[in-house]
Amino acid sequence: MLNVVFYFQVHQPYRLKHYNVLDIAQGNDMFDDDLNKAVMHKVAAKCYLPTNKLLLDLIHRHEGRFKIAFSITGTAIEQFKLYSPETLASFQALAETGSVEFIGETYYHSLAFLYDSNEFLEQVMQHRQLMKEEFGYETTTFRNTELIYQDRLSDLIYEIEGFKTILSEGVDRILDWRSPLYAYKNYSKNINLLLKYYKLADDIAFRFSNRDWPEYPLTVEKFVNWVDHLTLSEERGRNQFLNLFMDYETFGEHQWAETGIFDFMDHFPTAILERPHLGFALPAETSKLANYQQESLSFVHPVSWADEQRDLSAWLGNDMQHNAIETLYELYQKIRSKGDEKLMRIARLLSTSDHFYYMCTKYFHDGDVHKYFSPYDSPDQAYIYYINALAELEERLVR
Amino acid sequence: MKVLMFTWEFPPLIAGGLGMACYGMIKALLAQGVKVDLVLPTREFVYFPMRKVSDVDTLPAVFVNSSQQYEYKAQKFKTLQERLEYIGISSHPETYFQFSELIKQSKALNYEYWYSENTTIEEKQLWDDISTNLQGEEELMQKVQEFTLRAERLAQILDFDIIHAHDWLCYPGGMLARKISGKPMVVHIHATEFDRAGGPGNERVHKIEHAGMSFADKVVAVSQYTAQMIMSRYRIDTAKINIVHNAFSVPEDAILAKKRIFKGPVILFLGRITLQKGPDYFLEMAEQVVATHPEARFIMAGTGDMSRKMLRRSASLKLRNRFLFTGFLNRKQVELILRASDIYVLPSISEPFGISPLEAMAFGITSIISKQSGVSEVVNHAFKIDFWNTDLWVETINHLIENPDKCIKMGIDGMHEVNLIQWDEAAAKLRQLYSATLSEHIRKSEA
Repeated sequence: MLNVVFYFQVHQPYRLKHYNVLDIAQGNDMFDDDLNKAVMHKVAAKCYLPTNKLLLDLIHRHEGRFKIAFSITGTAIEQFKLYSPETLASFQALAETGSVEFIGETYYHSLAFLYDSNEFLEQVMQHRQLMKEEFGYETTTFRNTELIYQDRLSDLIYEIEGFKTILSEGVDRILDWRSPLYAYKNYSKNINLLLKYYKLADDIAFRFSNRDWPEYPLTVEKFVNWVDHLTLSEERGRNQFLNLFMDYETFGEHQWAETGIFDFMDHFPTAILERPHLGFALPAETSKLANYQQESLSFVHPVSWADEQRDLSAWLGNDMQHNAIETLYELYQKIRSKGDEKLMRIARLLSTSDHFYYMCTKYFHDGDVHKYFSPYDSPDQAYIYYINALAELEERLVR
Repeated sequence: MKVLMFTWEFPPLIAGGLGMACYGMIKALLAQGVKVDLVLPTREFVYFPMRKVSDVDTLPAVFVNSSQQYEYKAQKFKTLQERLEYIGISSHPETYFQFSELIKQSKALNYEYWYSENTTIEEKQLWDDISTNLQGEEELMQKVQEFTLRAERLAQILDFDIIHAHDWLCYPGGMLARKISGKPMVVHIHATEFDRAGGPGNERVHKIEHAGMSFADKVVAVSQYTAQMIMSRYRIDTAKINIVHNAFSVPEDAILAKKRIFKGPVILFLGRITLQKGPDYFLEMAEQVVATHPEARFIMAGTGDMSRKMLRRSASLKLRNRFLFTGFLNRKQVELILRASDIYVLPSISEPFGISPLEAMAFGITSIISKQSGVSEVVNHAFKIDFWNTDLWVETINHLIENPDKCIKMGIDGMHEVNLIQWDEAAAKLRQLYSATLSEHIRKSEA
């Protein structure tokens, strides 16, 4: 049996204003409410609302055999409440079907794991609480920001009661000859690991509408045949997991409605469920379904799902990014020890990984993706505004 | 007395150091009764007859082509900005001319004026230098050529006593005007190619600078520092060289009172972020000062070809949020950043004059200036340090941070001093120079 494991990342950052030196200490708000509102309205209209509607319909249509998982960040939930309450309601409707799993992560979609373990754990607990409040869901699966993973992460997550599974990227340099189609264990063999099957996931997320791609157009039939083909290698009856992890904005935003992405999704579950040896599973179900001794994998260096390198270089690849994030966490320590909740909140909003992503200078190939997602003209500008915001924060602290 | 003056910058058309100097200078000349017909690299072919002091702000223009002038007069402009846009005052002068057309006209010009009987071999030689080195399809060179053709026409239709040309871009035009009108010419050196390039620079520009200075009746240098440069690098006859220091007058609408942004001390670099201004020295100082005084903020204000390099380096030095960039600032924003600063530094490698420290001092900011600058000749209440002596810059900044009373006192003394450095004095010197040049010229032509 091969189980398709769908997991979608839903995230919106609080974008920063074009914040100049002369704006500092003038009592200004640092975040661009107008832009954040506009983005939320656009993405809700193009992606969240229509896709949620489709998925709800699919869940009903297939009577519980079609399942999906979401990770929704705290900053996204907050902005649903501010700008698009109907979006939050539609996620809650999905939650009520019982066919949806919600996945734990840091509330602020931050890189705190790499810089401040206590802060990391706090943000994870904050998010856990949020999932309980908004969806009545007790999270048991974890995924770190942008699937960033390292052995140490599993130790931290294991400390928190209830987490059984972690999602990460199926990085070739880790898997080597192994297949991402099986559930693994972390290095200390106490956490279940699911690894993204990036080839097929990216066929949908990135290549779906690419006319230069030899496989264009991607039909449901073609894709399901590929999926089916994967089962041929399994001769011992072990359950397989095809982990299709992607940004939720794939539907309607990265791949516009005109590309046929919604039709694809509309027909995909039927085509899978027609074949008796194919089905769907939630991440939380996988450890029970794993009817074999799970091999343990060690991730000495951090990996992520970003860019071809699948490492941290999208956020921590140049001096600007390093100086920015180190400044943030140094300042955060000071704010924390002073116990100023208001400033802690701002610092946490500034810890969202997107701020560092905008400063990425890998401007060839992958850089195009970064540019598409950035509200600034250049990484340099993003850096200047961010550092100014940190200067503002520090001024408020010493006041 | 009436002056035909050529300059490449004038606010709001590129308000760099040259523009600021010309503005202050012309304003003061007008106050002393000198009339100025000003020529700028505008898109449309106009000149600006300036007669009263307020003209420096209103910029009354006359189109050389009479039908265009008629049209212009018929226009109803709501704002000054709108009128200036009509004339084509932008930060990037545009040109209507085709390159081939320019070549043709320039050749005709060479033939008409420089191959006639009353041209000396020396004159011809100098003009050859100009026309040879002005060749080329570079945008700037084309603009200079067009500007030069305008000078020809203006020299024919306008009446004036003397020609005054600022910096090399205007020398060819000034020379041609002198040739046609037979009136004497003063060239004004605000910066040489050596200063701008922070090294030898472009040889073609040297040739043009040399030809202009050699052809001129008088050469004005903005400082002793520049005069030295002109003598040693260009071998210009010392008898021709006069020093007229720049000045600074605070705009009437400026507010000087402190308005802090940061609680800690603010150290400011303000100017083009380019090699000549020594921005990399500023960064080095910041690195060392911040190590002792993490409460200090270093602000790099302005833009330039080294902006990105400075930004990336400040990040690699891990200067945290202690080193900030403002990007381009308009006049009002410059005022705000000055009001928020405590220490101003000018670590220029070579600064013929450098008006901006005077501006900073007018705001009561303690200034530390490079010894390799003209401005260091005119102020006493400022620290003067060799640009390369980073240790001493750091020591001085630390000393000022640790002794805020001293810093404030120095700032106030500097403020008083700068208030005495007014353009009136510079204009009076220029007026005397004009008279002397004129009488010498008359004596020569009588002889």
